[in-house]
Amino acid sequence: MAAETLFAGPSTAAGLDDQVLAVPESRPPLPWWLAFACAASLAGLGLACMAYTVYTGIGAWGNNRPVVWAFDIINFVFWIGIGHAGTLISAILLMFRARWRNAISRFAEAMTIFAVMVAGMFPLIHLGRPWVNFWLFPYPNQRGLWPNFRSPLMWDVFAVSTYFSVSLLFWYLGLIPDIASMRDRARGWRRNLYTVLSLGWRGAASHWLHYEKAYTLLAGLATGLVLSVHSVVSFDFAVSLVPGWHMTIFPPYFVVGAIFSGFAMVVLGLVVVRSTMGMGNIVTDRHLDLANKVVLGTSCLMGYSYLLEGFTAWYSMNPYIHHTFGNYVHGTYGWAGWVAVICNVLVPQLYWSNRARNSLPVMVGVSLSALAGMWFERFVIIVISLHQDYLPSSWGLYKPTPVDFGILLGSFGMFFSMVLLFARVLPVVATTELKASLPGSQPRRGPPYGLRPPPPARPESEPGQPRRAVRPEDRHG
Amino acid sequence: MGERVFAVLGVFAGPDALLDAASKLEGRGVGKLEAYTPYPVHGLGEALALRRSPLAGMVMVMGTLGTAAAFLFQWWMNAYDYPIVVGGKPLASWQAFVPIMFEVTVLFSAFTAWLGAVFLLCRLPGLWHPMLSSSSMPKLTRDRFALSIESQGRDFDAEATREALRDAGALETEVVRFPPAPKPASLTLLLGLAGAGALACVVAGLATYWTIKVFPTLPPMSRMLQQPRLGAQRSSSVFAGSAGFAPVAEGTVARGRLPYPFKTPEEAAVLGNPLPRTKAVLAEGKRRFDTVCRVCHGPLADGKGTLTKAYGASPADLRTRRYQAFPDGSVYHAIMSGKNAMPSFAKALTEDERWSIIHYLRALQRAADAKDSDLP
Repeated sequence: MAAETLFAGPSTAAGLDDQVLAVPESRPPLPWWLAFACAASLAGLGLACMAYTVYTGIGAWGNNRPVVWAFDIINFVFWIGIGHAGTLISAILLMFRARWRNAISRFAEAMTIFAVMVAGMFPLIHLGRPWVNFWLFPYPNQRGLWPNFRSPLMWDVFAVSTYFSVSLLFWYLGLIPDIASMRDRARGWRRNLYTVLSLGWRGAASHWLHYEKAYTLLAGLATGLVLSVHSVVSFDFAVSLVPGWHMTIFPPYFVVGAIFSGFAMVVLGLVVVRSTMGMGNIVTDRHLDLANKVVLGTSCLMGYSYLLEGFTAWYSMNPYIHHTFGNYVHGTYGWAGWVAVICNVLVPQLYWSNRARNSLPVMVGVSLSALAGMWFERFVIIVISLHQDYLPSSWGLYKPTPVDFGILLGSFGMFFSMVLLFARVLPVVATTELKASLPGSQPRRGPPYGLRPPPPARPESEPGQPRRAVRPEDRHG
Repeated sequence: MGERVFAVLGVFAGPDALLDAASKLEGRGVGKLEAYTPYPVHGLGEALALRRSPLAGMVMVMGTLGTAAAFLFQWWMNAYDYPIVVGGKPLASWQAFVPIMFEVTVLFSAFTAWLGAVFLLCRLPGLWHPMLSSSSMPKLTRDRFALSIESQGRDFDAEATREALRDAGALETEVVRFPPAPKPASLTLLLGLAGAGALACVVAGLATYWTIKVFPTLPPMSRMLQQPRLGAQRSSSVFAGSAGFAPVAEGTVARGRLPYPFKTPEEAAVLGNPLPRTKAVLAEGKRRFDTVCRVCHGPLADGKGTLTKAYGASPADLRTRRYQAFPDGSVYHAIMSGKNAMPSFAKALTEDERWSIIHYLRALQRAADAKDSDLP
């Protein structure tokens, strides 16, 4: 397929509906059931391990002094990061008018929601007593206590819960007109269900005005949010005094890493959606090529961050930071540092080649490598920094238990179960948005979609002539 | 089909035809115009002379409110209602409040944008809106465009309106009516609903009771209560004599618990105050005196305490010459063994505290009869 084709899908709005909305209306094929069975079994394993942890206490994990944060927080940071690509695609690329986002935004947003849901479980089970998780929130209580708002852990509570709420609102707002389309194609109980889910959306012109304004506003808000969330997650580390954590590079470094791993996951998911659901004409090679370019760009930024981390360690003249950085490359866990560097920085350099960027096996391989690399990067940051800090008398090693691995595998199972369910229940492509940008979908006398119109020539209004509407300024632009 | 007419609908094939028709009919006084499209069509709002969405202003106001609220609640909680000192930093350190101020701003703004647009401005959900039962609706969420002229009252002429829409280029027209009014609910249905409501209340009450009273007592929630410990008035199998504490080893004396062998104030007079007369000792003496002695002896040791009346006892005025001449050891004996109506305070005070109280008492006595030479 030619890499230049941005959109090769149906050229009419009706054709788009017939292709995309037909998926949730049909019965899933056998491969879907097989994939879902695998994912759901893994999710079951993860839930069982979590239940075991909650029942026995976090002694079921390998965490202990001095490595008190381990798989739980690594997984949390990893999954929050995966979510970032969705918001980036849906919000920031919308603000930049990168039209290629339309075909993949819905899927990426859904991934955000599921990734944040998975991520949110980790701080909860990390509490040890998750049934009192409401203590995290400031609520008036008989003990007269309030949480400490100077703690980055409190910032985290607010950042992650805001991120989840706003992503959900944004995603649902985009879904409303699509669900209305599904409603009007369905019968029986499905019709009633979709009527409720679409809130009785009827596509009135006066509603679209508010709808589009709300969508743009939410995109603007989410843009600021996506940059803030992983910055706040990085504060959990950077605001502490642990050598290797206490660095000003952390917020941008975390945000870049999040976008890098998130895009790798988006590419992986899109490859699966394309090939199993016959969406190759809507999600074209060009989309994957563009997403892979983002992976390449962020991978180079990751390399820069690693170099800068080394530079900061050297420039600090601080023996503790020197020691920690030494551990990153040749300590007990030094191999993890090299895994991170190779997977995150070296392997994605393949993408400088056009052929690599457009080859399905290569992009699956690079995406998997990026995901593994980013998981190990968090392992490096958390475990290596903690296992040897200031006092040699309190140094120690960390060894995960089978329960740790069960929960890690389970998190992937839960994520993919939700992604697979979503792919069969709701439209994976934002049909309404695509319809609005099809050729001929907008009035000829108006400006092309997303472009600023020429200054309007004011027509002389004659008496008796219907009042001619002023041409739109840039309501969309 | 005797139901009231909601509107007359003209269906168009494309956005250009829709926009042309809208411009043609807008301002002609045919009735209230509305359009239904599968996706936002540019220029439609202007063609129908719709007012701009006030959403941005609403979001601006609520977002600002969010910033202010976040700052105020953090300041009130951490600097005022429950001040927490962290690393000696100032209590109202606004810099640390910025991340949460930002998050709450976004949260308020996003909810305002969503709820404001969907519920307030679009007046959704409209699950029983007449348009949803229109036979054209499935086309309108797919790829067709409609212009509707809404009925303004009894003298609405549906046929003339259809004609006007056809003239404006509509491919087909439809008269949309309100859905038939639902039948009045039967008594059985109402009773059933009331019963279901009552049942829901009972279930909610039981669930709340279970969550608050039963759930925390189940394992693993109850693990904190199941630690090895000795309850009050329970006998232990660990130490001899079923005691909860290890008995004092024979031939040893606990720190600060020297045996007190004296029986009378005269015998105890041999004791001397071991503490130096420093500011710190006097301050400690005052603190303990105010806690333990003051309620009966009064703040000045003049026997005018607040408890005196209630008990009918009259403690001595300790400032008199008789008590000024009392040796330190005898005062110590009074604290240890009691005197007249006064019980022993041996258990309420440590040895050093008793002696510091005596220093403080001497200061009070001297202050009651101060001379010019006492002034510094």
